Amino acid sequence: MDRQQEFVLRTVEERDIRFIRLWFTDVLGILKSVAVAPAELESAFAEGIGFDGSAIEGLTRVYEADMLAKPDPSTFQVLPWRGETHGTARMFCDIQTPDGEPSLADSRYVLKRALERASDKGFTFYTHPEVEFYLFENPAEPDQPLVPVDSGGYFDHVPRGTGHDFRRAAITMLESMGISVEFSHHEAGPGQNEIDLRYADALTTADNIMTFRTVVKEVALEQGIYASFMPKPLADHPGSGMHTHLSLFEGDRNAFHEPGAPLELSATARKFIAGLLHHAAEITAITNQYVNSYKRMWGGAEAPSYICWGHNNRSALVRVPMYKPGKGNSSRVEYRGVDSATNPYLAYALLLAAGLKGIEEGYELPDGAEDDVWELTDAERRALGIQPLPSSLEQAIAIMEKSELVAETLGEHVFDFVLRNKREEWNAYRQQVTPFELKRFLSVL
Amino acid sequence: MTADGDPGRRTGGLRTQLTRLGFTDPGRAASLLEDPDLRALAGPLEGATLVEEIATAASPDDALLALTRLATAAIGAGEARRAELRALLLEPGRAGARARLVAVLGASTALADHLVRHPEDVDVLAEPSPIGADVRTVRAEILAAVGASGDDAAPVATRGGQDGTDAMRRAYRRRLLMIAAADLVSSEPLTLLPAVAAALADLAGAALEAALALARAEQDDHGRCVHLAVIGMGKCGGRELNYVSDVDVVYVAEPAPGHDEQEALACATRLATTLAKACSSASAEPALWPVDAALRPEGKNGPLVRTVASHVTYYERWAKTWEFQALLKARVVAGDTEVGRAYTDALAPMVWSAVERENFVEDSQAMRRRVEDHVPAAEADRQLKLGVGGLRDVEFTVQLLQLVHGRSDESIRSPNTLTALAALSAGGYVGRDHAARLAVCYRLLRALEHRIQLHRLRRTHLMPTAEADLRRLARSVGIRTGGADAVVERWRTVRRDVRHLHEELFYRPLLPATASLSAEDVSLAPEAARARLAAIGYRDPAGALRHIAALTEGLSRRAAIQRQLLPVLLGWFAEGADADAGLLAFRRLSDELGTTHWYLKLLRDSGVAAHRLAQLLSTSRYVADALARSPESVAWLDDDAELAPRDHARLAAEADAVLTRQDDPVGAATLLRALRRRELARTAAAEVLGRSSVTTAAASLTAAADVVLAGALRIAEYEVRHGPDGLLTRNAVIAMGRLGGRELGYGSDADVLFVHDPLPGVDEPAAQAQAVAIAMRVRSLLGDVGPEPTLEVDADLRPEGRNGPLVRSLAAYGEYYQRWSSPWESQALLRARPVAGDTGLGERFVALVDPLRYPPGGADAHVLKEVRRLKARMEAERLPRGVDPARHLKLGRGGLSDVEWTVQLLQLRHGHDHAGLRSPSTLEALDAAAAAGLVSAEDAATLREAWVLSSRLRDAVVLWTGRVGGAAADVLPHDRRALGGLARLLGLPPGSGGDVEETYLRTGRRARAVVERVFYGD
Repeated sequence: MDRQQEFVLRTVEERDIRFIRLWFTDVLGILKSVAVAPAELESAFAEGIGFDGSAIEGLTRVYEADMLAKPDPSTFQVLPWRGETHGTARMFCDIQTPDGEPSLADSRYVLKRALERASDKGFTFYTHPEVEFYLFENPAEPDQPLVPVDSGGYFDHVPRGTGHDFRRAAITMLESMGISVEFSHHEAGPGQNEIDLRYADALTTADNIMTFRTVVKEVALEQGIYASFMPKPLADHPGSGMHTHLSLFEGDRNAFHEPGAPLELSATARKFIAGLLHHAAEITAITNQYVNSYKRMWGGAEAPSYICWGHNNRSALVRVPMYKPGKGNSSRVEYRGVDSATNPYLAYALLLAAGLKGIEEGYELPDGAEDDVWELTDAERRALGIQPLPSSLEQAIAIMEKSELVAETLGEHVFDFVLRNKREEWNAYRQQVTPFELKRFLSVL
Repeated sequence: MTADGDPGRRTGGLRTQLTRLGFTDPGRAASLLEDPDLRALAGPLEGATLVEEIATAASPDDALLALTRLATAAIGAGEARRAELRALLLEPGRAGARARLVAVLGASTALADHLVRHPEDVDVLAEPSPIGADVRTVRAEILAAVGASGDDAAPVATRGGQDGTDAMRRAYRRRLLMIAAADLVSSEPLTLLPAVAAALADLAGAALEAALALARAEQDDHGRCVHLAVIGMGKCGGRELNYVSDVDVVYVAEPAPGHDEQEALACATRLATTLAKACSSASAEPALWPVDAALRPEGKNGPLVRTVASHVTYYERWAKTWEFQALLKARVVAGDTEVGRAYTDALAPMVWSAVERENFVEDSQAMRRRVEDHVPAAEADRQLKLGVGGLRDVEFTVQLLQLVHGRSDESIRSPNTLTALAALSAGGYVGRDHAARLAVCYRLLRALEHRIQLHRLRRTHLMPTAEADLRRLARSVGIRTGGADAVVERWRTVRRDVRHLHEELFYRPLLPATASLSAEDVSLAPEAARARLAAIGYRDPAGALRHIAALTEGLSRRAAIQRQLLPVLLGWFAEGADADAGLLAFRRLSDELGTTHWYLKLLRDSGVAAHRLAQLLSTSRYVADALARSPESVAWLDDDAELAPRDHARLAAEADAVLTRQDDPVGAATLLRALRRRELARTAAAEVLGRSSVTTAAASLTAAADVVLAGALRIAEYEVRHGPDGLLTRNAVIAMGRLGGRELGYGSDADVLFVHDPLPGVDEPAAQAQAVAIAMRVRSLLGDVGPEPTLEVDADLRPEGRNGPLVRSLAAYGEYYQRWSSPWESQALLRARPVAGDTGLGERFVALVDPLRYPPGGADAHVLKEVRRLKARMEAERLPRGVDPARHLKLGRGGLSDVEWTVQLLQLRHGHDHAGLRSPSTLEALDAAAAAGLVSAEDAATLREAWVLSSRLRDAVVLWTGRVGGAAADVLPHDRRALGGLARLLGLPPGSGGDVEETYLRTGRRARAVVERVFYGD
């Protein structure tokens, strides 16, 4: 028993925790939870908690149903919304096979492995996500029009706005769980909000995003409203993205920073960006994993549709933010493709792998885009060598299927599962007869 | 010595005397004795006792030369120095000081240079100094040299910069001189060795402290914002340092109260950097040694200094097993003791629970391999430190034992190798005698290393090669006769002993007390024995202990030999994929064979045979079973020629001999089957030992099947020929499928077609009936249950399948194929190869089917469509339920049949135009297709890779499980341990089970993409 495990056991005792939820994430990025009593905790640390993995998407197939969830004591956290007395706490788990080996279907392990590869090259990977989401009035149900909680716009201060109170409550709860919030504001859409998490190593960030989604949903529930991370819930308003700032560190030094270089960007950073661009289309089926994601991506506004980069260019897929002199360690690049419904473990593993590939292979960074790429004509874009991102889930799957980078990073098992699952989703979607079709064709055909 | 004044004779006499005294260049020595400066100090030297004293040095020549230089330097340094050295050289009462001086000058040119540079430092040799000077005295002395006080908690140098650095190094060297002198004059250097190594470690600690004081002096606040501790690792931490080696350290710091952590760590980093420079950068005084902080968390990429908490977090979350092993040596050596103590207190529990970590067994095996393997080839013969039997090997053995047993026994946790070894012996974990012998080996290796390093104060672990260097080395460790050869011989013996002792220390105590070879042996308590077995990879230690007891108990000759053998075998089993299975199989084999006179003798006398046997038994259940069934096969293990595959001609000759001398048909068939069993075992053993590839294995298996089929047909025909009707028809067997392609696996059936051709004038129905009887007889001779393994002869590929007649005449085949043949039959015939019976008939059969399988102009669109459809249907229907298509080696995605069908489609289309394509072998046809440009080289490589890997894995599944059939035989297992075993059979290092799975899935995926394009496309 190590010290952290002891700490967890002691805290459970001292704070009279009655249940410990063991959290893990399925391959689609949906949080799963199994609760154990304090008495079971010690054996959970030692041997893990057995569960039937066949019930979980992508974790396993029926014939290897037995799986172990092994809690990571460094992620222990009391859940504030469960009250102070007889409280509930949670820990994230690693999923293992009964032999104690990491399960190849555990998306947290996919990210861990990718981070390990980076660490073998001397890099640590930091991420800083800006998570957007919508708040709707209850009941928010599929067969009724959605009603946003307000009609504010970007950075609007909405007097007595529900969103305002909401953000305050959510942030307080996040901070009480040890998740630092950098920034929060009202976003462009009505009822749309953004909360930025402070930068941390990618594994912590991914854990934090999973916690964040839960916290936001819980707080909304308390306030009688509904929070959604759906990529594009409202056709006429911007979708919810999860722009993520990425940086690599070598020891204490930001590897993206080089004083005096153009944009203060090191050669490493330029190759990293080149890697992101080169592989952007291949990883889109993960960063934007639902049919709905493509409605956001091709709906203009802040969502990027074309593969290019720029300095402070808000239409580019990769943006290099303005450099603040003297802040060498804050050098970073922003990847704007990811949406709020992604599986953060897989998405970050792939972004890292794409960037590292650029560094390994020494990809050349193409010229940055200075114009608003939305305004360019197709011919102009072609002349500039700017390719579009996949326009649908189907296209994204077809491109990902051919990607060695994605297969290698996810591992064959997860790769295979995602492909099958996404094809199923596409087939189900294709069978729909939409209101659009009825409205347009029924009366005339 | 004569005094008759003849200079020639005089010199000659002197030279003789010098030679006798041990000078190697008496001419030069004689002229040095004439040196005016030396004479000015020491007077005439011919016949003087001083010369005899000089001759006691490790190298008298070096000592004399150095003394001459020292005389010149002392004379140049003024009257006082001159008088002092003169007194030291001449006064009878100062023999001790003289001996120390001579010993140093004769063993170390570097220290001699130092004395020449600073003749006044000769004074440190004036009095004998006890080797184990109090660490506080030494610390105070070196600190005083830089103007700092040993009484301060955080001393700050008042002599800064280069001046301070030089003063520190000078003080260090004066101490080093004392240690070296005491070491070199000792009559028992091996006994003194631990004390010398401890004194060197303490001196290094004092130097680090002084260097830190110098570093503090360079900071504006004298580094007050931070409490920095220097933790010694490696030999420094173990208080067993060399004369010159990297001093391994780790820095840990805490901010002083009221100071910001970031700022404090930045300051500590500056301190650490300056500290290292003070020890190792160039300056007027030579550098001491490099300060190496690479053992810190994240190695060279990690921050140089961390807080205690940050260290703890790293070790809890990221550290690898070897890092915990390294921590075993951690000891506070300089700087803030409180912070240092907090660090060691926090991390020690993790060291002692490291053995519970996942992958401990695999990690420690990998570490062991690194110890043994990481020797540059050019140095392999000269390495004292690395390689099998080197110092690292001893240290590793001791540390592993500490990690395994230190969890429950605090008495064996010393970071010092010799102390730990003694404690392990006292605690009953290793045999006392063996421990003592290992300690002697270690001391000798270290003493050699010390002497080699002392010579030029260089960091080296290589035995010298020059004659003079070896001679000096020999003399310096007390080997006065035999010189260079003797020391090398001694060292080689030690190296062999270390390896042997490792096994005795590690595995011998696992044997029960009743199996002790001598009273000095120990037998571990059951709890400790289980811990040790578990730590080296036995999953069922209790069961293993039972087997060990059963194998070693009793008074039989067998038990006696096994008591000798078992310790080393236990280690070899543990290197295999399944140690438990290996031990169990060995016990079974021993029960079977133990009384056979040659078996144990072979194992005892042939290290190669024993090692191979252990490898086979712990890696392949199939081979273990095969050896149990044909124990005589064990004898092959000693002979490479016996493990080489037998070619077809040799096997055919043997079968011929068997059939010629055997009259009883069933008896003859049994002998044939035994021959095949033997070849299966031989092929399997060779494949497990990595002595054959998948294609050569398939070729041997095919050759055995070919010979057996031919033999069975011959027996059947023989019976008929001697029956009432005599032989009415010519018979031939055509190999199909994998047999036709010479691609048999261990569990493959023999797919065949039977064809006959009635002799002229014979009644056709009677001939047909006889041919059927012969075919059935062949099948029963090979397929009936009997003492030897069966070969299923499967004729289902015949026209009309099971509904058709078992045999057809050549004419009937011709008729059938002309009228009815379907695409799948053309495809199956691609593999047809005559294998037994009438050669002419076989050739005519081939001529008959050639137009079918290689149609002129290529197979038409209809045929291609049918073949594709058939394959698509097969994919949907033939795959067993519940099996993941990606994992089915034969029918799955990118599996054997994917590749084979793709190749066969190319053969059907282009076989007529390209002669190379007309081969029953998949790989040959694939290569020909690539050569003809019918498939791109890249695609062909992908397909080839997938086919080879699937075939190897299919073989490996059989070899690992020992089962040749069943649903599981064609499926890549999910079980991690099975995957690990397959990985070992594929020649990968331990712990590669996940890689095998990943590699197979990837290879299959890529191959499938090619199949989609080449087979289903256009």
